[in-house]
Amino acid sequence: MRKQFALMIMVSLFAMAGRVTAQDNLSPQRKQAIDSLALEKVRDLSKYISIIGDKTTPWSDAQRVIERATELFMENTEIGVSSLGKQDVNYYKVREYFDRLMQLNYDKVTIDWYKIQYVSDLVRQPDGTYVGVITVYQRFQGFSKEKGLVYEDTTKKDITVYVKRKETQIGGRLINFWDVMLGDIRVKETSK
Amino acid sequence: MRKLAWMFILLLPVTCFAQGSIGSLTGDESVFYAQTKQVNQFFLRFNGEEDVKGKRYNPGDAGYRDVKLRKKYLNILFDNSNPALTADAKFVFIDEALNKKVPALLDFYSKGWFAEVTSSFMYKKEKVNIILYLKIEKQLKGYKWVISNVWFDTFNSWFTHLNDTTNLKYFIHPMSHELDFMNLHKAFKEPENLDYYFEREYQPDMTGLFVMEMKTGNLSFVSVNNIKFHVFQVPNWYFEISYFNRNDANSGWLISNMLRVNDKEKKELLRHYTHIN
Repeated sequence: MRKQFALMIMVSLFAMAGRVTAQDNLSPQRKQAIDSLALEKVRDLSKYISIIGDKTTPWSDAQRVIERATELFMENTEIGVSSLGKQDVNYYKVREYFDRLMQLNYDKVTIDWYKIQYVSDLVRQPDGTYVGVITVYQRFQGFSKEKGLVYEDTTKKDITVYVKRKETQIGGRLINFWDVMLGDIRVKETSK
Repeated sequence: MRKLAWMFILLLPVTCFAQGSIGSLTGDESVFYAQTKQVNQFFLRFNGEEDVKGKRYNPGDAGYRDVKLRKKYLNILFDNSNPALTADAKFVFIDEALNKKVPALLDFYSKGWFAEVTSSFMYKKEKVNIILYLKIEKQLKGYKWVISNVWFDTFNSWFTHLNDTTNLKYFIHPMSHELDFMNLHKAFKEPENLDYYFEREYQPDMTGLFVMEMKTGNLSFVSVNNIKFHVFQVPNWYFEISYFNRNDANSGWLISNMLRVNDKEKKELLRHYTHIN
């Protein structure tokens, strides 16, 4: 009985880490469950971005949060940023993007997230991984001591979500689960 | 019973967070709700496969592809700032898309739509625009976007003399074979006139040239600048989808252009947009 209880706790933790049991095809119910897990990752990312951008966050803490935030992403992920009135998109590596965010030249920064979120369908890639996009909106405000609010923008963030079927052994049992990772992000400044 | 307990535990965090949202900012979000935020959402709205809050309708759900819902959605999928999209044309388009017998629906996985991606590249130290055409292709059990064609003005300028039947100067005379084609030497002396010497049916392979210039390092990618989608999936209609970044409800991915066309005209349009003869 104790063994069974321990097993249940472990599996529960697995699920909380962002995983659900796997099936070959995604039923609407399964898709909904995966959406929630993907949104949870995006929610984590949004919290990390707010902490990294916050000028009151000590440097060492920000570094630790950058590490956590980077772990949410697949390897080679890039963030493509564009602003109004500029045609080209600048592409940054995730780490570089967070470092730049931390070093922004304002005395105070506030980063808020709108409640709205939009989750696309999940489409299967040739390698079997499912891919989707979650759209969220962020408001950024930069303040200087002398002038107060000096910069403000609202950006639309389209975040790639990869959902992959994986296997692990827990207590001798083979457990299938869906692993959710974040991928490339397109950051677009919205019209003022 | 044991199975049920397992399922409950596995899905526990899901049920906890399903109703949550990303942020806490309580500003006016009505524009964001109305905005067609993704091309995926354009397809779902067009087909009447999601509710007003973006929740997916699945087959069997009340509201799935509901005609009244579709009519509302179709009306908001046009760029209202474009006077060429007249009320009459929209009315006919919507009426035909909602045909009771054969309603027109969009399918992400089917043929009849493609992307036109205008990108900036560096070409021999100069910044240039190149159009890439991409379409969805099936591979194994999945899908991917593939480059189906490329358009670059410079490549095109290399072939301005093709099919020129008025030229009486640049040709390889019909007895050249007797001289082991030694006059090729003269023909190739002026590379700018090289394209006079090709057969009438020759079609330049822009994609091949693109690959060559990329692989030899003459061309390097800078950025994607603009995207359009050309859709041919609705019977008797062609339309174009573009992104409108503006602070009102009529924003996001919207129909930016449309034409009532028959099948023959569709083929012509396709040829025009993809530069394929």
